[in-house]
Amino acid sequence: MKQLSSKKIQSDIPITNMKRFRYLKFFLIPGWRDPAFTKLEYQIGKSKSKRKLFRRLIKPLTIIGFLLLLFVTFCAIFAPWLTKYTVKVLTDKGLSGGIPFDDPTSDHPLGTTQYAYDVLGRLIWGCRTALTFGIATIIIGASGGIIVGTISAYFGGRVDAVIMRIADLIMIFPALILLILFTQMVGEQLPIMLSLFGLLSIPAFARLMRSSVFQVKQNLYIEAAQTGGAKSFKVMFKHIIPNAIAPIIINFFGGVGAAILGFTSIAFLGFGDQSLPDWGTDINFARTKFSHYYAAFWPGLFILIAVMGFMLIGDGLRDALDPRLRVTTKKVI
Amino acid sequence: MFEDPVLNKLGILPDPTIIEAERRRMGLHLPLITQLFIYLKNFFTGDWGTSYIVSEGKSVIQIIGEIFPKTIELVIVPILIIPIIGVKLGVISAKNKDKAKDTFIRGIGILGTCLPIFWLATMLQYFVGHYIEIYTYGQLNLEIMSPNSVTFSQYPDPEWPFHTGFRIIDGFLFNDQGLIQDTLLHLILPMICMTFVSLAGITRQTRASMLEVLEQDYIRTARAKGCLENNVISKHALRNALIPTSNLIIGGTAARLTGALFLEMAFNYTGMGFFMVTAITLGDYVLINGILVFTALIILSGNLIADVMYTIIDPRIAYT
Repeated sequence: MKQLSSKKIQSDIPITNMKRFRYLKFFLIPGWRDPAFTKLEYQIGKSKSKRKLFRRLIKPLTIIGFLLLLFVTFCAIFAPWLTKYTVKVLTDKGLSGGIPFDDPTSDHPLGTTQYAYDVLGRLIWGCRTALTFGIATIIIGASGGIIVGTISAYFGGRVDAVIMRIADLIMIFPALILLILFTQMVGEQLPIMLSLFGLLSIPAFARLMRSSVFQVKQNLYIEAAQTGGAKSFKVMFKHIIPNAIAPIIINFFGGVGAAILGFTSIAFLGFGDQSLPDWGTDINFARTKFSHYYAAFWPGLFILIAVMGFMLIGDGLRDALDPRLRVTTKKVI
Repeated sequence: MFEDPVLNKLGILPDPTIIEAERRRMGLHLPLITQLFIYLKNFFTGDWGTSYIVSEGKSVIQIIGEIFPKTIELVIVPILIIPIIGVKLGVISAKNKDKAKDTFIRGIGILGTCLPIFWLATMLQYFVGHYIEIYTYGQLNLEIMSPNSVTFSQYPDPEWPFHTGFRIIDGFLFNDQGLIQDTLLHLILPMICMTFVSLAGITRQTRASMLEVLEQDYIRTARAKGCLENNVISKHALRNALIPTSNLIIGGTAARLTGALFLEMAFNYTGMGFFMVTAITLGDYVLINGILVFTALIILSGNLIADVMYTIIDPRIAYT
């Protein structure tokens, strides 16, 4: 018995590893057939659609976006280990003793910017600011948009008209100008800014959700749930939202990229949070110093990397998930 | 925090009575609701107020009349060429789906979307200004920037009987070549930046709707009856694919007319966006209100025009 069990264990481990490897091969290489899976034809047929989705997702541009995003996330998580400067040294005007707009030295690998802040340190800590702002903003905006849009589309009629007119009213004014105006009045701290930006981005998400809910509402199972006596709250949040949320997910990553871009744009105008290192403020510091252009060059490159990562992943998701873009038949010619 | 227009105008004075007197003269001591109704009453009778700090003594409508032509001059060329290039690129991209050309065009489009426009502007200013001698980075209206002009010393010239506000048109009317050259030299880089950054949206929309249309039955019919591929694309497919794109084009035009905030700040171009930011920084609230309302008017009329154009482009749609 003992021998048997040990034998089983010995034979078990390599097989599972092999299986995993083969399964990975099956997933990654298009058209791969494996004799070991002939008995599992049914399950394979089931997972085939999953494999198709995965293969649609791994386009070269999406992989590039994923790598860029990985780089920015790495910088954001390991910021204290990547640079020896702390946030206090990088944002307090008095603390950093050095020459403003200095050439690169061993202490400052990319030179210094205004008030003798270290450029590399501000770049690395800026990853945290940008990611926090982008993701938190869109989480606020998307969740608000889901709730408002669902309520608006589900009840329809007068409720819909009132909510949509309010959304139109907010969308008429350019969001960035409104944000600058409000931050001047309320305060320039990061939490205030991101919640304001999130609130201002609710109408766009609400519209998206509304059009999606209108389609889902036609389905028979909604009627069945209503006939079964479900409260409208339950119908909305249990039956409609899970089926109508796909466009929000598709637009999530693109929204994060746009939020980061908007935040750095505002910081570029000088309305950013001065107590945190961030890329837009860096460009604002160095944009007129043409003899030390690299102090403005590197932050812009980081903005490009971060925004591009999110946008490329968002584009890949849109191509993979959006049914309108799916090509069903081959081209004739 | 709250920008105080009175403090910003007077500077920090030791005497509080002067500040209080100025506040009373402006009517800022009244309750907020009273101020709002006074403003609304004046607003709807055609008096949009007088700028307090930014350009003192000029009425807001006068200021908008001066800066709006400048913004139009900045955006007119991008407005005209963006749809042409964008639709062309989108069609090429849809024709070669998932090939190298398509990937390249989409990459360029995504690059345009992701580039921070102010950074692109700064870098272009640096490199072009460094390597091309006739280009100078600087503001308009600086005498040192146009050494070849005989007549041009300031704009508008006090000797002219009238001026339209458009610098290029004025240059042609009064034969001031220095003014034209100066204006064009300052407009090239902002135009390049704006075009490059705004291409992506139209390209992507055209590509998506072209892919959708190319799947339709009538395209197969057109190919089956022996149409040339070029005609299939440009006559049968493009007309139908342009319907969603036209909405985007008109909306983009309206949005562009409201002024390019960051571009104008980066190039020191005194258009709508520049005045907006200056007014916000200094707390000139009447001017902010005026420009915001004007912006909203432009966008609203853009939406209206888009709705009307829909019926012209696609006769199947009718508003009853």
